[in-house]
Amino acid sequence: MFKLQDSAKMDEDIEEVETRPASSRRSVTLRNNAARQVAVNFMPSRQLPYNTLRLRRNNSEHNALLEEVAADDADAPDNAEKQADIIVREMEQHKRLMEDDPEAEELRREALRDLPQGLTMKRNVRAKLSASVSLRSKGRPISLWKRMKYRAGFAWKRVRDQLREVIFSFEFWYEPIRRIEGHFGSAVGSYFYFLRWLFALDLFLTILVVAFVVIPQILHDDEKKETVQMTALDFITGMGGLTDSLLFYGHYHDGDISTNSLLNYNMPFAYFFTMVCLYLMFFGVLCYRTAYSYRLNFIETSGGLSHVFANKVFCGWDFGVVTQEAARLNANSLYNEFKELLSEQSRKNISISWVRKLGQYVTNVLVSVFVVALIVGSEWGLWLLLGWDSPLRHFQLFVSAVLTAVLTICPLIFHVVVKLEFYKPRTSLYVSLARTWLLVAGTLLLLLVYWAREHAQQCWETSFGQEAYRLVLLDTAVSLFVLPLFEFSRGLIYQWGRSESAPEFNIAYNSLTLIYNQTVLWFGMMFSPLLVVAVTLKFLLLFYIKKECALRACQPARKVWRAAQTQTVLYMFVTLSLFTTLFGLGSLFFRTSSHACGPFRGYAYVYSVVSEGVLQLQQRPAARSVLLFIIRPGVIGFLMLFLCVAVYYLRARSRAQRDMVAILRRMLRLQARDKDFLLTAIANVANGEWLYSPKPDDEGPDSHTFKYLQEVRKPSNSGFHFDASRLSHSLIEGRPRSFVKENRSSNYDRKPDDGDTDSSFSWQGSNNYLNRSE
Amino acid sequence: MGQGKSQFTEEELQDYEDLTYFTKKEVLYAHKKFKALAPEKVGHNKNAKLPMAKILQYPELRVNPFRDRICKVFSSSNDGDCTFEDFLDMMSVFSENAPKAVKAEHAFRIFDFDGDDMIGVSDLREVVERLCSPELKLSDFDIQQVVQNVLEEADLDDDGALSFAEFEHIIDKSSDFCHAFRIRL
Repeated sequence: MFKLQDSAKMDEDIEEVETRPASSRRSVTLRNNAARQVAVNFMPSRQLPYNTLRLRRNNSEHNALLEEVAADDADAPDNAEKQADIIVREMEQHKRLMEDDPEAEELRREALRDLPQGLTMKRNVRAKLSASVSLRSKGRPISLWKRMKYRAGFAWKRVRDQLREVIFSFEFWYEPIRRIEGHFGSAVGSYFYFLRWLFALDLFLTILVVAFVVIPQILHDDEKKETVQMTALDFITGMGGLTDSLLFYGHYHDGDISTNSLLNYNMPFAYFFTMVCLYLMFFGVLCYRTAYSYRLNFIETSGGLSHVFANKVFCGWDFGVVTQEAARLNANSLYNEFKELLSEQSRKNISISWVRKLGQYVTNVLVSVFVVALIVGSEWGLWLLLGWDSPLRHFQLFVSAVLTAVLTICPLIFHVVVKLEFYKPRTSLYVSLARTWLLVAGTLLLLLVYWAREHAQQCWETSFGQEAYRLVLLDTAVSLFVLPLFEFSRGLIYQWGRSESAPEFNIAYNSLTLIYNQTVLWFGMMFSPLLVVAVTLKFLLLFYIKKECALRACQPARKVWRAAQTQTVLYMFVTLSLFTTLFGLGSLFFRTSSHACGPFRGYAYVYSVVSEGVLQLQQRPAARSVLLFIIRPGVIGFLMLFLCVAVYYLRARSRAQRDMVAILRRMLRLQARDKDFLLTAIANVANGEWLYSPKPDDEGPDSHTFKYLQEVRKPSNSGFHFDASRLSHSLIEGRPRSFVKENRSSNYDRKPDDGDTDSSFSWQGSNNYLNRSE
Repeated sequence: MGQGKSQFTEEELQDYEDLTYFTKKEVLYAHKKFKALAPEKVGHNKNAKLPMAKILQYPELRVNPFRDRICKVFSSSNDGDCTFEDFLDMMSVFSENAPKAVKAEHAFRIFDFDGDDMIGVSDLREVVERLCSPELKLSDFDIQQVVQNVLEEADLDDDGALSFAEFEHIIDKSSDFCHAFRIRL
């Protein structure tokens, strides 16, 4: 009850605070800013030695003050020495840091690394610290267990360092991406990083697939040599002579492969476990990566949405930009964004009428319905097309061409259509990304289902593999030749001065190409192991072509692109497509298996490779019943319920914490006002202007007011000279004139100069304070 | 460039590795870049002090609106002239491995033009003015508005200036800061 009243009261206060115009509030609080800062530095919160943040800030405060001294002080090195002493003393307050064991040494090293000081200062501090540590160490023998632990820790650290070194020397495409970043800013750079990441991932996949699946099959094939004839068209369609080749699922052997040695290699096991392990492993990696990125860019920064202006001001400039042109564009776009934000803000005051809002809402819904209809319609058309019994000879190729055309053109339509809607720019990007992804994943699922259902008697796996192969091949033609050519010609037209606008590097569309390829790869890898190689090579080529395209033909985007969150969304889509693949393949594997071809033709279902081949459940009824129990819907339902409860609980907690944050913010504001009030009161008291006399027993030797008065105000305090006039002078110089005037007329100027002055008062003063309190 | 390695002993490299966010290889790479700014001088003395004008030849710094501030903040003699160690320090803070807190610390000092350990109204004005290009200048009123808004959003304790804690709070909540405040070696 009490609490409720309190908070209600606080709310009133807040309202009172917030209804006052900001400018007047500020001009009040800005009064005597400089002199006040000195007093504020004496507050207990500023003097906690164990507060790391303060530790670091204190140092830089001293630094700032020392900087001023340095100009007219001859013995600057002496100051540096003193500063190092301060840092060491404050670090000595951390018990854990000062112990004499390797772990503490590592901690010390990290603490040193994080010091916001120059290398010389760090070195200085390190020397002093190690002297202090060896002075303190008691020379206790370390137990065997601890020694082992440290040794392991060191070994691990050394390995990690060496790994980093190796990665740095192997980091491919470092210079090209850096150059692109210099030209276009970090957003386009992040597209290339995404491309590089996918390339590295596929390269890894390639190595594993080739090593465990393809090479054994080659060894097997060597034994029975047969030659097939292939035409050029077969390479494009993947049919004819290529059907029964290493490229596709159907070719793989279904029994043991025994070469001349005694060892046997069971091909079905190898095929199954390589694929499943790769899928699951990469699913894990992708999930982790996406979750990490999501946490970093969405959850941990979720409170930052309100800092629109501050973000623009402090994070607006892209420090990686190199060329004049890019810098100019960056500056211009910042200008435009400031303008936009300001106009948006003034517009916010005029509330939008509900009719308008309703209109926008209806438009959004209508367009979404249209897009969904378009997607469903094209899927339906595709289904009909697939089922059409055509007299054409290369009908399959025709279907693939149509598919590629649809998948290239629809995203463009989505990009245009989304402009009709009323979304924020970032949301509209996500919306069109999601739509495109829906189309791609839907198409591939449809193909999978079509081949599995309609051609179950023949080798449908190979047919699907061929389909995927054709899609990758045709998309290569589009994304490696047609689109770059288009971009180049647009760039040329621009350079000849025939067109006003140069082509911009379209990150969204280009990223979609990558996601599309990766999705096809996820779907097709199971049925066409060598597809991995094709996609990897394609990404390799794509990198160089896109690089040339970007550097030669494109212009930096006129709008600043916020890369961090978009990147997360891209990762999310890649993960999502892998999940869809796993879902599709999993449900198919529990249903069918080709008896006509492939490594699993000996089993009734594909999953029998595990249940019959490895575990041999037929002979172990107990294990079988346990397994059957676990996959019952009841158990899984229970698990789901449990997860739901957990999520609900966490959500409730996060909401509670958000409320707490709001309350703490208000309290902070009120505290600051209290501080303001008290400081004014102190100033008044010190000048004898206070009408009511404060109770003297309130100010015991322990109170901070007392200390403040003793140390700041008493002119005879040795070791601490408070030179207000000089201080306010030096601190105020950078401020607008109005503040200077105000400060000049303040009471600090009226004080007589007390002769010999020492501007390094702050740290001396705080030393004094620290020593005394100890 | 081949003799880049011979200019440092193993201990020196280890020392740099301990005190910065770089590996030994990266330190050497940084030195190569530093040397490219003034080949003769640095070839003579590996830790030569280069004047600010020379340091500003570095591509990323050349176009940066805060270039002089960056040099001043990292210069050990506080006048903008940088030795190799200062340069290494700078690159280490701007590198990808530097934690957000360290970056925020230096960003704060860069934006704190008058050195009073607060980002006040005048500092904010200066930042906004420098951000926009010379050809498209924001009007005085607009800058005033932007500054007002920044303070409104971020100045939690209402004292008309951003303290480091408040600044760090903004940075902490910004997903783009680490992307933006980065110079690749």
